[in-house]
Amino acid sequence: MPEATRERELKRAWTASEPLLSVRSLVKYFPVSSGVTQRTIAHVHAVDGVDLDIKAGETLGLVGESGCGKSTLGRTVIRLLDPTEGTITFKGEDITRIRGESLRRLRREMTIIFQDPYASLDPRQTVGDIVGEPLDIHHLARGRARAERIAELLRIVGLNPRYADRYPHEFSGGQRQRIGIARALAVEPTFIVCDEPISALDVSIQAQIINLLEKLQAQFNLTYLFIAHDLSVVKHISNRIAVMYLGKVMETAPGSVLYRRPRHPYTGSLVSAIPIPDPRIEARRERVILQGDVASPVYPPSGCRFRTRCPRAREHCAEEVPPLESFGPDHRAACFYPLD
Amino acid sequence: MAKTVLAVHDLKTQFFTREGVVKAVDGVSFELDAGETLGIVGESGSGKSVTALSIMRLVPRPGRIVNGYVKLKDQDLTKLTEAEMQEVRGESIAMIFQDPMTSLNPVFRVGWQVAEPLVVHAEKKRPSALRDGVAMLKKVGIPNPDQRAKDFPHQFSGGMRQRAMIAMGLTTMPSVLIADEPTTALDVTIQAQILELLRDVNREFGTATILITHNLGVVAGMCQRVLVMYAGRIVESGPTEDVFAHPQHPYTWSLLKSIPRLDADRHEPLRPISGIPPDLLDVPPGCAFHPRCTFRVDRCSRDVPQLQRVGETQLAACWVTQAGTNLNA
Amino acid sequence: MISPIPLEGEVAVEPVERGRPGKSYWQESWERLRLNRLGIAAGLVLVFFILVAITSPILAALFTHTDYRTIDLANTFARPLSAGHILGTDDLGRDELTRLLFGAQVSMGIGFLSVFVALTVGATVGLVAGFYGGLIDGLLMRFVDMILAIPAIFLFILMALLFKPNAITLALIIASVGWGSIARLVRGEVLSVRTRDFMVATKALGASDLRLIGRHLLPNVLHVLIVYGSLYLGQVILIEAALDFLGLGITPPTPSWGNMLTNSETFFFHSSWLVVWPGITIFLSVLAANLFGNALRDAFDPRLR
Repeated sequence: MPEATRERELKRAWTASEPLLSVRSLVKYFPVSSGVTQRTIAHVHAVDGVDLDIKAGETLGLVGESGCGKSTLGRTVIRLLDPTEGTITFKGEDITRIRGESLRRLRREMTIIFQDPYASLDPRQTVGDIVGEPLDIHHLARGRARAERIAELLRIVGLNPRYADRYPHEFSGGQRQRIGIARALAVEPTFIVCDEPISALDVSIQAQIINLLEKLQAQFNLTYLFIAHDLSVVKHISNRIAVMYLGKVMETAPGSVLYRRPRHPYTGSLVSAIPIPDPRIEARRERVILQGDVASPVYPPSGCRFRTRCPRAREHCAEEVPPLESFGPDHRAACFYPLD
Repeated sequence: MAKTVLAVHDLKTQFFTREGVVKAVDGVSFELDAGETLGIVGESGSGKSVTALSIMRLVPRPGRIVNGYVKLKDQDLTKLTEAEMQEVRGESIAMIFQDPMTSLNPVFRVGWQVAEPLVVHAEKKRPSALRDGVAMLKKVGIPNPDQRAKDFPHQFSGGMRQRAMIAMGLTTMPSVLIADEPTTALDVTIQAQILELLRDVNREFGTATILITHNLGVVAGMCQRVLVMYAGRIVESGPTEDVFAHPQHPYTWSLLKSIPRLDADRHEPLRPISGIPPDLLDVPPGCAFHPRCTFRVDRCSRDVPQLQRVGETQLAACWVTQAGTNLNA
Repeated sequence: MISPIPLEGEVAVEPVERGRPGKSYWQESWERLRLNRLGIAAGLVLVFFILVAITSPILAALFTHTDYRTIDLANTFARPLSAGHILGTDDLGRDELTRLLFGAQVSMGIGFLSVFVALTVGATVGLVAGFYGGLIDGLLMRFVDMILAIPAIFLFILMALLFKPNAITLALIIASVGWGSIARLVRGEVLSVRTRDFMVATKALGASDLRLIGRHLLPNVLHVLIVYGSLYLGQVILIEAALDFLGLGITPPTPSWGNMLTNSETFFFHSSWLVVWPGITIFLSVLAANLFGNALRDAFDPRLR
């Protein structure tokens, strides 16, 4: 397979000094159309100015509630969606507007795992074909070598290769998720976006998949963008966490710092809202209960987006958008009146 | 001495499907005291939701209650006719469901839906019932209740819809409220609001509550007692503090070790439970959990363990712990 | 099957719970279909008609020893079961059975060709419109709307006036008014499948549009085409018969069930069997197509899973 080896040489190893993935002022709007003529009357500000850096080999967690834009951010970063504005840099190369062959080559470096194990696999394909499809698309292996690679991939994710000729509906949710992971690994990627990979699974299975993802990261030197709404899971698997609200990043910090000393009021209320499976701790906890609901991403509030629910909001918050400020190594928050 | 409001004894509910009989609920017994909040915890296939539906006599076909009784105060609900049961539902027992988007009727105004139980059960006239409905909407924290009562469900957010559902359940001051995964479909900050509301409601009205969930954190924060279900049976029960501090069933024990905790150190590894929840058409012999259990012995694959007292306050259905092994040593 | 307890730190290699060979969607649907006795019976009837249509010259040579054109003016309106003519003869002494056999070839042939063309064109348009959306979708669907708005009869009359249609051109004309509904149907199904996660996942792997449409979209909408194809077959047979009745279809001496029915109208009172035979074949074939189509729909319906 001369083609495959050549491609492998082309994929440069990336040192740890520069970020593997860099995002600057990323914006993604979706048009809202109405009426017979389908005129655009407004935009959903799904991602509204995000700066992020992800280092090679690390896991960046992305948390937020519905409407925060985390899923959109994940898909835009790997160019499944086209950014409205801003830049994305991968391995030093600007990938914001690439097309055609270069985009196809990018698909070998960046892959994605989906939330719903029941919808993310084609029900008409055998498991072997699902895992083998990336090999076909990128001409990585044929015939016997292809079958061997498929078997190897299935074994890596903990599935018996004997069942490669079965169909997705014969597997449980957790097993299907493993198949999805095997598919993502087939191209030997550098960077994987995990879009809520365990939310649809039973609690007793979630730990299996989390451990599998961690093992694979160590084994293949992968970098993860781990998107989830469950902060407990994200904190366990991530080196650093970015908290999003209505299209913007409110705070980034390592998980333990986020838990013990959050600076942004939203992070504070998010942390206090998450139940801990320990009745004695739960009885003692101070809860910061937010009032009201998340504002609409079509008409986000002026200034700081969180101000409509923030217990510490003041006039200034409506006038100016707070910039991300540093509060320590790897710790930044966007707030004029942060928590202490 | 607390008064028992609901007593369930040896409840068995089975689904007669083309592929075989699914024993969704396989001998469940428990009591609910006035004013307490009881948690029922389990994963998919554990039978927790079907237990609730059985109590309400809402089990869909091809399912049927085949054994046991459900006594509300002194009335056996399993023996009532459908007409008699309709009088009980919404009046003495209320149930709120997981998905607030589909459990409210989209073509009727919210205010009317909240008031409807009063018209049906308390035989109030419509204007008076609507007034009470608005008052209840205010109680559950919906701002501008007079105006919002005239809105339709799609104009409410998920959290507000759930509040409306709670209002609907409480208007008739039922003795028992069953909440089936009431916050699973909601964002976590909204979840905190709803759980706080349920706590307030429990304090103010003294309604006995059954909270069904798969989230151990929610149970820890809301419930005084907890039942842990697996494959249609209760495998452990007891005061929440005791069950979490020293679980007496390997399933509970493994589950607690496998979930990531917000206050845990990142480098503490998760210990997953191997295998998958059983197919209810093909439940393993003996203890249903034994294929995934790290403590199992020979007996576990032969004999089905019964719920017995293990420790001072807990019940567990496990041969190993009943024989004296301490999982928490 | 039960997975063993894993060693500390190792993930168990998990087998699938039920130990039987892989069943694809098609295999499962076939098994469901097999249980539907009425559907299978209808299917067999259809197969019977198809076989007859394919082998009609052979069958004629074997059983009736005549041609559908052979005129025998001395033996017109022979009753059924008379010498050498099991089903009787028509007004020109031609053998009914032979004409029915060859009529099968014409009617079924027009039916299948029409269905094939309409499905192919309609599916392609529907797939492209549904997959790409936007302007392409708008243009294609407005075009389909126009096609569907043209009164079919008008088109048929126009065609008949311009040239005498033979079986093939007739099939194409019928298909040209029928592909519109299929395009709409396929487009609808495509819209619901296109947004499913596995389509996005495959795109994320770098699959080309052609691969996405051909390998993933089409197999997932195929069941809709198959069901519609069966039902449409029945419709085409009836349309062909109606056109023959209006004098716009196949003209004698070439027999089709439709024109056999038409021509025998005037002879109904003294030779009613001439109406009955083609009537029965049309009725049975259309009924079989409809029943089979319904059985297919039940077999494919994922709700039953």
